[in-house]
Amino acid sequence: MKYVAIIRQVPDGESKIKVEGGQVDLSGTTMILDQMDEYAVEEIIRLKEQHDGEAVVVAFGPERTEEAMRTALAMGADRGVLITAAGYVDPITQAAALAKVLAEEAPDVVFTGGQQADWDSQALGSATAEALGWPVITWTTAFELEDGKAKATHDLDEGAEVVRVELPAVFTAQQGLNEPRYPTLPGIMKAKKKEIKKIDAAELGVGGSKVEIVEQQIMELERKVKIIDGTKEPAAAAAELIKLLHEEAKVL
Amino acid sequence: MALDFSLTDEQKQLQQLARRFAREQVAPVAKENDEQARVPWELVEQLYEIGLLNISVPEAAGGLGLGLVEEVIIGEELGWADMGFYTIPMASELGITPILLAGSEEQQKRFLGPLTERPSLASFALSEPGNGSDAAALRTRAVRDGDHYVISGTKMWISNAKEADFNVVFATLNPEMRHKGVIAIVVENDREGVSFNKIHGKMGQRAAPTYEIIYDDVRVPAENLLGDEQSGFKIAMLTLDKTRIPVAAGSVGVARRALDEAAKYALEREAFGRPIADFQAIQFKLANMKIGLETARIYTLYAAWLADRGDPAHISASAVAKAYASEIAFEAANEAIQTLGGYGYVNDFPVEKLLRDVKLNQIYEGTNEIQRIIIARDILRALK
Repeated sequence: MKYVAIIRQVPDGESKIKVEGGQVDLSGTTMILDQMDEYAVEEIIRLKEQHDGEAVVVAFGPERTEEAMRTALAMGADRGVLITAAGYVDPITQAAALAKVLAEEAPDVVFTGGQQADWDSQALGSATAEALGWPVITWTTAFELEDGKAKATHDLDEGAEVVRVELPAVFTAQQGLNEPRYPTLPGIMKAKKKEIKKIDAAELGVGGSKVEIVEQQIMELERKVKIIDGTKEPAAAAAELIKLLHEEAKVL
Repeated sequence: MALDFSLTDEQKQLQQLARRFAREQVAPVAKENDEQARVPWELVEQLYEIGLLNISVPEAAGGLGLGLVEEVIIGEELGWADMGFYTIPMASELGITPILLAGSEEQQKRFLGPLTERPSLASFALSEPGNGSDAAALRTRAVRDGDHYVISGTKMWISNAKEADFNVVFATLNPEMRHKGVIAIVVENDREGVSFNKIHGKMGQRAAPTYEIIYDDVRVPAENLLGDEQSGFKIAMLTLDKTRIPVAAGSVGVARRALDEAAKYALEREAFGRPIADFQAIQFKLANMKIGLETARIYTLYAAWLADRGDPAHISASAVAKAYASEIAFEAANEAIQTLGGYGYVNDFPVEKLLRDVKLNQIYEGTNEIQRIIIARDILRALK
């Protein structure tokens, strides 16, 4: 069997991001494998370890995406295919290019992160499935292969459901699906010898972007401090505190 | 055009891996391990799992055969998170190095091979209760008895020691011969007559275990001897010429942490109606920390690069790096405490621990005074 993880390279949440002239400037930012995609990479490596076959990572992005791809290879994926394109490309256009590569690779199972950390978009997995005409299961928290089909648990707004799905199919990953491993130092050294095939998006007949980013802004977060006076009516203050913790802070 | 300061792609990935591990696994438990003087063995296991433990073991013995540049990259990241914890893998490399330098291929396979097969450590036993800087004055005795050596004596301030598989022990066949009588011999910890006393009450680096070792007529086969009967002292010195570079790397990590914490606090803390980062008194502190950090980091990498190339200039360079980096790091920790004021003095914030930890970097693997003697001898030898 063949398992594919579609991955992306995104800014590290811990690093600072600048906006220059209305556009995000990533030149001084540490770029990493999208943490949501780590669940996808971990899952295809586990599938390979349990059932044999091949674990392949596929990506659409600028040349530098190769770094994130090497991380996935250092975790244990076998090889990579990188569709290169500069600048912002919307997920529907990306999916069209990814679908062409996937149709040729003909995997049984495709995983990708449930949400892309940089655009907060959840479209890539579903759009790729649609372009291929394959079923999609989003927000997967459990997955197993069973008689040539897949059995998966996925989250709903108010609960979860277990589904059986014919393969090939696309699954989007999230926290809870597994515990992604760290790459290893021997893995890093082996990864440099693993194949990354690069294809220019234009060669796949995919060019430009249907959506153009005109201007970007960074949200300024202000620390919210609310002080409840507990000196006069402590019981009412406590009730108010519990209400705020529940409804606004959403920690209870 | 040969000058090139860039890391290879693999080194960058190694740095990213070590940084992430340090941030996610080591830093969050550093305070607790310090408070309880607890050896975080589970972190040693994780370090082994991701391949960052005992990285210098040669490929022929089953390891990765990496060099000091890689060790320095890891050392800065782990030192940033917890210098005390970093001393554990660092001291293991210290125990491995004499075997790399003087061990036969058979000895390397026998002693170092197992270190790649499970989470395990090596250790280096030179200092004694009555000698440190004057290493040639050691009193642990080795007596040849047929195809064995019988070792007896006490070693002091030994990092890892009991937690390791073996100690590379320096002992003398004849104390009157001073350095010419010293042998280096691998003594496995499970031999009869080996016992340990843990040293308590350390000021810092409390996650790192430190022991006194007592060898009571321990019989060790002659096949465990490294080099010949005259080479022990030389092996010790050649080892320290290399292994004080990771001490510098850990110090660079401490300095970076001090700057990170001080700068973050300076932006958040207000006085006289504005963040204290607005004041020149604080800005100068931050700038001085940065000057020390950047120069120590690049020089430490330079010393590692020289050592990896086998250039004898690394002997002096490693002494410069060790003394300099540990001093700028101590100063950075001191200034970070000053920047945080009262908060810097209590362990709710991580900066007081930086100072307690990095004090040891000025002492172990050759005090900074000894480093200066090494540097001065190198200057004067060139003129003679």
